[in-house]
Amino acid sequence: MRSSATGESQWGLTWRRFRRSRLATFALAYVGLMAIVAVLAPVLANRKPLLQRTASGWSFPAIADYWVSDPDIEVAPVPTTFTLPTPIPFSPNSVDLTERLQPPGGGHLLGTDDLGRDIVARMIHGARVSLAVGLFATLISLVIGSLFGAVAGYYGGAADWIVSRVIEIVLCFPFLFLVLGIVALFRPSIWTIMIALGLTSWTNEARYVRGELLRIREVEYAQAARASGARDARIIFRHLLPNALAPVLVSSSFGVAVAILTESALSFLGLGVPLPTASWGSMLSKAYEHIEYAWWLVLFPGLAIFSTVAAFNIVGERFREALDPRSE
Amino acid sequence: MTTYLVRRLLYALLTFLGITVATFTLIHSVPGDPITVIIGRAGLSGIAPETLARIRAEFHLDKPLPEQYLHWVRSAVTFDFGTSIVERRPVRTIIFEKLPNTFQLNLIAFLLAASLGVPIGLWSASRSGRLTERASAVGFFLLYSLPSFWVALILIQYFSVRWNVLPLFGMTSDAYVDMGTGGQLADRVKHLVLPVLTLTYAQLAIFARFSKSALTEVIRQDFITAARAKGAGTVAVLWNHAFRNALIPMITLLGLTIPYLLSGSVIVEQIFQWDGIGLLYYNAILARDYPVIMALTVVTAVVTLLASLLADILYAFADPRVRLGEGAQ
Repeated sequence: MRSSATGESQWGLTWRRFRRSRLATFALAYVGLMAIVAVLAPVLANRKPLLQRTASGWSFPAIADYWVSDPDIEVAPVPTTFTLPTPIPFSPNSVDLTERLQPPGGGHLLGTDDLGRDIVARMIHGARVSLAVGLFATLISLVIGSLFGAVAGYYGGAADWIVSRVIEIVLCFPFLFLVLGIVALFRPSIWTIMIALGLTSWTNEARYVRGELLRIREVEYAQAARASGARDARIIFRHLLPNALAPVLVSSSFGVAVAILTESALSFLGLGVPLPTASWGSMLSKAYEHIEYAWWLVLFPGLAIFSTVAAFNIVGERFREALDPRSE
Repeated sequence: MTTYLVRRLLYALLTFLGITVATFTLIHSVPGDPITVIIGRAGLSGIAPETLARIRAEFHLDKPLPEQYLHWVRSAVTFDFGTSIVERRPVRTIIFEKLPNTFQLNLIAFLLAASLGVPIGLWSASRSGRLTERASAVGFFLLYSLPSFWVALILIQYFSVRWNVLPLFGMTSDAYVDMGTGGQLADRVKHLVLPVLTLTYAQLAIFARFSKSALTEVIRQDFITAARAKGAGTVAVLWNHAFRNALIPMITLLGLTIPYLLSGSVIVEQIFQWDGIGLLYYNAILARDYPVIMALTVVTAVVTLLASLLADILYAFADPRVRLGEGAQ
């Protein structure tokens, strides 16, 4: 795709077209908001205060254990003269049996689960799991897909034939069967899920990269690079792949949606991120046990999954339309 | 045409071999062989090494990997997948027992989704650019983004718990055997409603989206412009020229939706305790029932392979450009 006559870059043009859809712009903002929530989770929902003053001076307890893997270890309360709590003053795993199954409102904005854990706090921390899985799984599939696709598209012939057969084989396996098998056989963890998803969902990326490279491998700048003695790897990575990236990124946006959906499905089935780590999917499986009265356990985590997946899908679709020269 | 068919069949055979190699490699890259894992999980210890060696020999686990693979493929071709570790019955018997249940559920969902989704998609493509079309496009996306287990929970919450009009789970009621024929049929239908609804809505969105883009693609082509130019009315152009050509790409959906449906079955069958192969696979995964896991992985992949083979052949019959070699690239 070339830049327009006005000298506007391809990305500028795409962005301008993208923004013409208010829904897609809103969806993109929502994705950004979710990312911020995920990154700031320990500071947004933590029973330790954001800022406090004790005899030894001022400190930031919630920020201090940002990188601590299990910040829920009991600590003896320190006498304080001033505390500024986090917006949601509960940790995702702080159990309080006196507060179990509280409906929304009151002390807990969206209620509590059967162990008295705050739903908002768990949802905020669940966003981390969802977005991390979505991002890294897609990154893995992007890398694998680009490599396979680039080799197939650039060399053609036997390489292309082999890659095409491999893609055909991977596509035969029902996605969830394969992911479920890998995750369960190699013990469930957030890393296993990311790798399993990445290893099984690279086929779309590979097909897009292959198609693009087939189209552009003989363009002038590739020929020029070849004539000046550049090696294949340099031509592929430096000249061709960057130009094949746009359609691949579209499919990655859908990929993130699928990854988030699959992670929550795995967690719902009890084969996802191990408990007690909060995940939207495992929160929903809890909801099934108390479905007679605890409607808030069903509604809110499900809404979180749905809205995030929908946002990524809408962004991907609009991005695709904005890249399509026929849409102008 | 014959050349095309022969080539396609050879590729299918190759893909089948690839499927078996991939499954076999996956299972055997799990740390520890199945026997060790099962013994470890059962908490058994102090088993005599001779006993272990005998069990390994019985399952051919003492042979080198290529030999194990050949043995397994040879049995798999004749549908002999060994014995389930959990149920202690032949895996083949178990699969044949559950397959009809999954088939029943998926066939109803498929027909429902296709018969509703395709007309909706074609209708919305024919209204290209209008508000209803754009609204329906967003609608498909939202529908497609709904997690099926959430939808199932909401359906259960209302229909089964709050209003108590449909059963919570299962395929039949406890009193099924005592019912008359009419009562049995009604009972079965009642149990089908929620799982079918859960399986249908997302597919409906896929069908609608696919048929919409297929028709949009056709409308852009020259022969449609030609038909318009010769003075045919909008309705005539759509009916006589566009729809028929838009339906051809729909054939590929046949191959694409089968793996999607099977994936969905795992979730839906687990939630509604529907006694099909999705639930079987889920339970096999939990129990690490290796023969069942391997058998189901291969069987579902082969079903997908056959569906896409069928789709390709049908496509070749419907579209002469394919069978005559044009666009083979």
